[in-house]
Amino acid sequence: MSDESATNRTGEGLVSGLPLGALNRYKVPIGSVLLVILLRPLVSMEFLLGYGSVANTILIWMLFAASFNLLLGYTGLLSFGHAMFLGIGAYVTAIGLSRFSSSFVLSAVVALALAGVAAYLIGRITVQKGEIYFAMLTLAFGTTAHFIANYNPAGLTGGTTGIAGGAVPAWIETERGLKYVNLGGFQFDWYWLVAAAVLVGLVVLWQIVRSPFGRTLIAIRENKELARAMGINTYRYKVWAFTLSGVVAAYAGTILEINEQGATLSLLTVETSGDVILMTVLGGANYFFGPVAGAFVWLFAEDYLTDFEMLVLPLKEVPIVSLELAGVLAYWQFFLGLLFVIAVLIAPREGIWGLLRDSIETLYDRLRTGEEDV
Amino acid sequence: MSETDTSTTERTDTGDAQTAALGSTGLTKRFGGIVAVDDVDLAVPEGELRAIIGPNGAGKTTLFNVLTHALAPTDGTVYLHGEEITDLSQEQRPHRGLARSFQSNQLFNELSVLENVRVVVQTIESGPFSFDLLGEGRSQHREQALDILDSVGLTDKREVTAKNLSHGDQRRLGIAMALATDPSVLLLDEPTSGLGTNETGLVTDLIESVHQDLGLTLLLIEHDMDIVLSISDRVTVLDQGRVLATGTPDEVRGDEEVQEAYLGGMREEL
Repeated sequence: MSDESATNRTGEGLVSGLPLGALNRYKVPIGSVLLVILLRPLVSMEFLLGYGSVANTILIWMLFAASFNLLLGYTGLLSFGHAMFLGIGAYVTAIGLSRFSSSFVLSAVVALALAGVAAYLIGRITVQKGEIYFAMLTLAFGTTAHFIANYNPAGLTGGTTGIAGGAVPAWIETERGLKYVNLGGFQFDWYWLVAAAVLVGLVVLWQIVRSPFGRTLIAIRENKELARAMGINTYRYKVWAFTLSGVVAAYAGTILEINEQGATLSLLTVETSGDVILMTVLGGANYFFGPVAGAFVWLFAEDYLTDFEMLVLPLKEVPIVSLELAGVLAYWQFFLGLLFVIAVLIAPREGIWGLLRDSIETLYDRLRTGEEDV
Repeated sequence: MSETDTSTTERTDTGDAQTAALGSTGLTKRFGGIVAVDDVDLAVPEGELRAIIGPNGAGKTTLFNVLTHALAPTDGTVYLHGEEITDLSQEQRPHRGLARSFQSNQLFNELSVLENVRVVVQTIESGPFSFDLLGEGRSQHREQALDILDSVGLTDKREVTAKNLSHGDQRRLGIAMALATDPSVLLLDEPTSGLGTNETGLVTDLIESVHQDLGLTLLLIEHDMDIVLSISDRVTVLDQGRVLATGTPDEVRGDEEVQEAYLGGMREEL
């Protein structure tokens, strides 16, 4: 490699030349591949969920949260309206499929373009306001998007019911509740298309944050004033970070549209925007995989604890177990909320992923010093 | 003091603001009723090391902020190498060769020393905004950044997170980042404040070498009179936002009005 000498001049190049160097450099794409391959088998394990269908949803939300972190973690912008871009992705795709009988690809491309234009324009208005005003304005725009979808202009968005019928492309087949993709004579599980699409989205985000553009975003996050004094046009960088983040969120929305066989109004609610903030902070905004981990913990806990309630439910009939463990666990949102509060208090930017990394590093260091002792 | 002070040769810059490396005419900054910078005429010729001194609250840092457009001036004109840049935005100025360092340590705290400098080199190479989404940012412009770190003596600490540096190293990193913009005119805001004797010596040496080896025009806000008197070519004294005197260190030292402005604290130093 031509840049080997360059990396060798510095400390971080110590392992370059070894496969470990490449491993370190490409750990995000490698990790993403492992993630999408292993997620479903993992959650399908008997002692976890025992079924894999939720893995689709988890993957899509992971991508949505990672797109959000381009703003929060990498640029330092806290948006309360990110749901609007997920919603634009899902709604425009569903409208294209159901109202205009257009192809999925065309609908999705239009969805991304519209999300991009919307994000660019909203970004231009909002990013240079103070933190509070940015939060309030994005909240207002998000609520506006919800209002429009609910208003059902020209019968396009379906109002409160959303878009349910005829919103699935022809190459998706549903058998006993499971989706299959039927493309060019090949039939395979819908999960693998979700996995491939989410993988592409994650790799795109990774490339954005490692590019010169992304490195500049990090500098802006660290110190806006200094960045400007050093010649960085912070306004334009923030506008484009907002735009790219919105487009990737819309991309997640187009996948979610197929997964949910339409677009529902709940996608556009303030709760959706709030959930993605909670997931990102819970997982750790400092890391690429932070929001991914946060989305996993959030959605897995939701499913796992809801199931738990169902499993334990019969115990309610037994008077001895009057503790009503099941009833307590049904408040899974309370426990997640508690976990969130703890994460914010201990390490606001580290989250679960940061704590995990730290413990692994500590363990690794102990093991290594242990070896040296021998 | 009345506005109709008789201006002697010492009161104003002798040169022409429009032919100087950095100049201003009638530069004024008001915050409500407070005039922080009051009708300042500057003309710092190419290659000069100009010290800006004055009591606390004299408007020294505000003057830097107005010269770099961190704050828009209320009135007046700013010239850089004869070109009027009054309305040029702050982020454009480093690309024209006007750079500054900060009084408090302003750094990209969570980034490594190398990355702090590298991002600045990248910015200067690619402009105020560059939609460059390809390649790996961290591997670009490394060599230039390493050379700059070498020149300020921070090579060994290139992988240290900026916030973990000692105070003196942070000051040097601040100067390194300003140098990374490849400036022709450099504004340094109290580069030695809060430093011990050793570190002050290192930073002073650095400033002198930058001035002499690179031939930069330097404006230096400095409290330490020993440094001011030993390294500056000329001194501008500010008081209550106004230029009280400009001259060689010796001329300024002998100026009665300057001594008056400094009254207690600084008098014995002068």
